[in-house]
Amino acid sequence: MTAAGTPVLPAALVPDDPGTRRGARRWRTLGAGQGAGSLPGLAFWILLVLFILGPSLCFLLLAISPRLFDEGRAWFTLTYLRQSFTGLTALALTNSLWVSAAAAVMGILIGVPIAWLTARTMLPARRFVAGSMWLLLLLPSWLPAIGWQRLVQQGGPMYRLGLGLPFVTHAIMGPFGVVLLLGLRCVPFTFLAVTAALSGLGQEFEDAARVHGGGRLAAARVVLPIIAPAIWSALAIGFAETVSDFGVAATLAYSSNFPLATYQVFQDIGNFPPSFPGAAAMGWMLVAAVAIPLALQARALRGRSYQVLSARTRQITRRPLSRVGTVAAVGGVGLFYLVALGVPGFGAVSGSLLGDYGGSFSITFANYDALFRQSGLLGPVERSLFYGIVAATVTATGGFIAARMLTRRGGRAARLLDFLLLASVALPSVVFGAGYIFAYNLPIMSSLGINLYQTVALLVIAYIAASLPTNARVLVGVVSQIQPSLKDAARAHGARAFGAWVRGVLPAVSRPIVMAWLLTFCAVFLELPLSQLLYAPNQPPLSVAIEDNLSNYHFGVGMAQSVLAVAIALGVVAITLGAYRILAPAGWRRIGGANRG
Amino acid sequence: MTPMSHPHRMLGIAALLGAGALALAACSTTPTASASGGPGSKSAKVPLVVYSAQGYDHAMAQAFQKATGIPVQLDDNSTGPLLTQIEASKNNPHWGLLWVDGSTAFAGLDAQGLLLKGYEPNVSYNSLGTKNVPTDKSYVPTGVTLAGAMVYNKTKVPNPPTAWSQLTSSKWKGAVGTNDPTQSGPTYPFIAGMMNYLGGVSQGERFFTRLKANGLVIHPTNGPTLQALTSGQIKIALVQNSAGVGAAMGDKSLAVKYLDPVTMLPSCIGIDAKASATEQAEAKKFAQFVLSPAGQHVMQTGDPTGDSLYYPVVNGVSPLPTLPSLTGVKVQFINPYTWGSREPSVNTWFVNNVIR
Repeated sequence: MTAAGTPVLPAALVPDDPGTRRGARRWRTLGAGQGAGSLPGLAFWILLVLFILGPSLCFLLLAISPRLFDEGRAWFTLTYLRQSFTGLTALALTNSLWVSAAAAVMGILIGVPIAWLTARTMLPARRFVAGSMWLLLLLPSWLPAIGWQRLVQQGGPMYRLGLGLPFVTHAIMGPFGVVLLLGLRCVPFTFLAVTAALSGLGQEFEDAARVHGGGRLAAARVVLPIIAPAIWSALAIGFAETVSDFGVAATLAYSSNFPLATYQVFQDIGNFPPSFPGAAAMGWMLVAAVAIPLALQARALRGRSYQVLSARTRQITRRPLSRVGTVAAVGGVGLFYLVALGVPGFGAVSGSLLGDYGGSFSITFANYDALFRQSGLLGPVERSLFYGIVAATVTATGGFIAARMLTRRGGRAARLLDFLLLASVALPSVVFGAGYIFAYNLPIMSSLGINLYQTVALLVIAYIAASLPTNARVLVGVVSQIQPSLKDAARAHGARAFGAWVRGVLPAVSRPIVMAWLLTFCAVFLELPLSQLLYAPNQPPLSVAIEDNLSNYHFGVGMAQSVLAVAIALGVVAITLGAYRILAPAGWRRIGGANRG
Repeated sequence: MTPMSHPHRMLGIAALLGAGALALAACSTTPTASASGGPGSKSAKVPLVVYSAQGYDHAMAQAFQKATGIPVQLDDNSTGPLLTQIEASKNNPHWGLLWVDGSTAFAGLDAQGLLLKGYEPNVSYNSLGTKNVPTDKSYVPTGVTLAGAMVYNKTKVPNPPTAWSQLTSSKWKGAVGTNDPTQSGPTYPFIAGMMNYLGGVSQGERFFTRLKANGLVIHPTNGPTLQALTSGQIKIALVQNSAGVGAAMGDKSLAVKYLDPVTMLPSCIGIDAKASATEQAEAKKFAQFVLSPAGQHVMQTGDPTGDSLYYPVVNGVSPLPTLPSLTGVKVQFINPYTWGSREPSVNTWFVNNVIR
């Protein structure tokens, strides 16, 4: 390691760094390109095809060949694809595209400053920012939507308190509200990706700008291009997550008469009899839509190296904020949490504490009392905890590998993998779940003795497959910064390959991997559409149990169960982060210090 | 052997994890696959896979298992996901018995040949039950709720409407709410019932167009519509009667009234035509048990503020006292085969012209 204080030339500013190229060459022989020919690489692609691409493709094929799965008479037709360009479907698709783009940009505009304040400044209470971002990820998207609706609707609490503002109601119950809520959903993705990238970005870059007389703006102009992979990654994942979101589409957007594509998919599948080919056609459109951010990303990052994380990386120094800056920063971050967490929190908690569907302000614990008297309360919680832990462990490992493959420069396979993974994010979960039924419940599978449908195994595999693309995307930012020299140094000192990775690379990526694990855990713990379609009879996961209460008129009990579920998931987040703090070596925590806030 | 480099090792780990998942999968068997008895294994008990959206289904599954020793595997879900599962897996079905509200869905499944025909339990049906038994006996009615019951706040609406036509008057402008038929199972039967009552689809469309012009408020399902009622956004909610009565049990200011005519919404049991003979026999026993006195007791106690609020279809069983009497109320039956086939087109019209 270079002695502290010695100026070093930033690796990112040296695209032809011999070490980087050497490393890149070696990786290429093993990774997504030719590496697919190696046995483990082949195994990875086979798993990818079996569990992500295969089921998705099975469903999408229905759009052009419904007879393949006995869903129509035509072996080949373009009727359903044509229909998706007409009438309400076309309107919904157009809405989804511009809303997703706006939400992803909003996620960047809010997420990047918060990540920078948390990672690089002495922002008061910054330790709570990272933790509370998890709360945002934990909340199913329908919860904030319902919270806002309850607050601003005619006759809602705002009006009954004499604070009714029709223009606010009009704004929230319309496209603005939809973009606002979906944009807030994108902020955690940006925050995680950018804090991970900033944690690997040593102080030397900002120092270099400042030493040469640059102000804060100049420093930002140096830093922002270096973390471009994380920003573009956040933009792409924000777009894909938004375009596939169903929670807001089915609540706020629906109530605002603002159709979105995922709701149209739901209508096709949820109608009786369902039109799977119609839903599949819309699925094609959503998959095609993710090509937009990917193309922009590829164009922006083409031909550059972003490997800045090395043994020479210098520790960051937090900068104090001025008094005015502190007030502005705390106010801004506070406003963000008020809008993103305060209102939905009010919606959920008030829904669980009001026994009369919210008709009065009288507080009662009757719903919680009824909840704890329900038989079989613990079973779904235990099951979802188990499913979440297994799925998160496999996904964090697979996601890291996929992220490593995605950072190969120039490989066609890497670009293909990038598109396929992101495209699968764009598919709504209900489509993914139906695809799993079509793919894994074919009569031929049963005749081969493979009976996966409605088993715990298939449900967990589906959870993993649905989470892996997002997970890989979140890890791409930090993985792209790893220089081969980290491992080479350990190898040079006699460590074996795995030991070298553990000693050289793992410390730098341990915290992002823990975060990715938590991201998957939280997503799986309250996942609904896949669970509904694939869960094994007699073994309902938590989300199905909650939905059971909500749909059987026990609205308050269901809300109480939701609040309890979020509290449990938060407990897991706290325990995991606490365990990392206690058990991880000091060096690991120091390298990932920015994430801690 | 050359030691694996890091990426190889990582990929190896992934492959191992994947292989582990597959091994886990291989160890798993679908309940029906492992348990399916062929025609020759009639004496063996196999797990009966029950797809149900009823609030009392857990209690019923336990009671049936205790009474017969037949193991029940329950997929308790909303009606929509259950029907999606059945349609998506129709070439290799895994269910034995379906139990949800609304005979139109069963008529649709019957039209596709997915239901076992010709079974009728040995019970004495009352008039509600008799009306809902299909001619080909492809499904079994187990109870009746009512679609389109009127729920209102007694203190805010002392003089509620007395006829459907009054809902389109200026007095109730912006005051009426109901559900989206594509999200709420009981709402299509309500819409179909109104069309049936008014003389046909086009007459019904005119009625709902007038309601829309009078400010009809649509929420996705019963819960949000009732929440809109209690919060004051609307004054009258048109929802399933069991939802309304259940809400009125918690909020004493609410009342439920039936306008003439109100439409029957039977809960029904259908048996998978492709299930093994053993599982079909068990499914028949389940239907018989549900309609027995013991089964009816479970139905009436299993979900006292929700689905237990139904009108029985067998003689000798009285509705729960919290339910309004049907005396003097015209309860209409709609032909599920006629109206079931119209469901996609009517729902599409409703979405495009009333919701949007």
